[in-house]
Amino acid sequence: MPVRHRFVSAALGGLILLSPAAAFAHAFLKTAEPGVGAVVAQAPSQLLLTYTEGLEVRFCTVTVQGPDGAAVQAGKPQAVAGHENEMTVPVHITAPGKYTVTWHALSVDTHKTEGRFSFTISP
Amino acid sequence: MDGSGWLILRGLCRGLHLAGYFSAFGTMALATTLPRGARVPGLRRMAWGGFALALLAGAAWFWLQTAYFAAAQTSADVVNALPIVAEYTRFGLLLLGRMAALLLAALAFQLAWARVAALLALGGVLAEAWLGHGGAMAGPEGAMLLSSAVLHLAGAAIWLGALPALALALRHLPGAEAAVLARRFSPIGAACVAVLLGTAALQFLLLVGGVGALFTTAYGALAGLKLLLLGGLITLAARNKFRLTPRLPGSRAALIRAVALEAALGLVVLLAAGVLLQLEPPAMAGMAGM
Repeated sequence: MPVRHRFVSAALGGLILLSPAAAFAHAFLKTAEPGVGAVVAQAPSQLLLTYTEGLEVRFCTVTVQGPDGAAVQAGKPQAVAGHENEMTVPVHITAPGKYTVTWHALSVDTHKTEGRFSFTISP
Repeated sequence: MDGSGWLILRGLCRGLHLAGYFSAFGTMALATTLPRGARVPGLRRMAWGGFALALLAGAAWFWLQTAYFAAAQTSADVVNALPIVAEYTRFGLLLLGRMAALLLAALAFQLAWARVAALLALGGVLAEAWLGHGGAMAGPEGAMLLSSAVLHLAGAAIWLGALPALALALRHLPGAEAAVLARRFSPIGAACVAVLLGTAALQFLLLVGGVGALFTTAYGALAGLKLLLLGGLITLAARNKFRLTPRLPGSRAALIRAVALEAALGLVVLLAAGVLLQLEPPAMAGMAGM
């Protein structure tokens, strides 16, 4: 095979190998503490949400509803220094049960996303 | 302001802003390639015109984007959110910083410092990449997309941005100087086309994901349209390079018309790109919800 053809084949092969099946081009939830669907014994004082992209935290909102439907978030989302793809949300949880987190995120590339998950407090 | 009509309007403002920015930069860059001693009346006015378009479309984009960020219901909501967007978001900081760089570039160009002006404006052109998907993503995919966006922007701005100034110069320069300029621009344009095709292929793989998405998603359809328009642009550019440029100065009138048509088609491509950047790429569809 001529050198030029080998170079083109290698370049194309490399491109295909390097390309993932899906690129996360908007901010989606990557991990959460407490985790998605987790059952934990101790109530957290804050949630930590980690996304696939950097966030504009001032334009993100998170609500946390307890088993009775009441909101238990104790403030607005806060940026995490040095981690532009993370935010924390202070919560005030006093009772066991299932808690539902509804988030709206704005990524630094100006796109909005939203989602919902739940975790359970079971001492 | 979350509806599809507002999305398209934001995209069109972004596309117009890019067109103005590219045109101002391209005018400055072309001025650095003029034959020694050549003077083209109207180049400074053209650079300021590009600046004005970038400023006005940028202001409209800033307003609409702020309204979207803040989920504003009234103008007062937008006004309240403007300082926060300007001071605390990457979008606001980059847009304002890039406009400041273009203002400095236009002033330098006014003082006949064409190289300084072109470099300053190029910085503003490339910084736009950090407002795209690659600028927000971590990991190797983010790095690849960001690098490709930087190259894509450079290629588009050098080629498409210089076309209005090239048409103006071809019209005003004496025949021999016009021919020299056209022959100098020809390989630069060809290199830009190669860069655009390469980076478009990478972006297609990472953001569109497959040919099927071209026919089943809005992002894919618009990306397909943009590719078709790019194909039309390349056809025009090839005709200019291989047929009209070698026949200069006899083909000057035809070349000016062809370059003007190329610039108009380039504007449509930039408007399509502006809207495309507002849409969700299909390669990550299905990730929402968790």
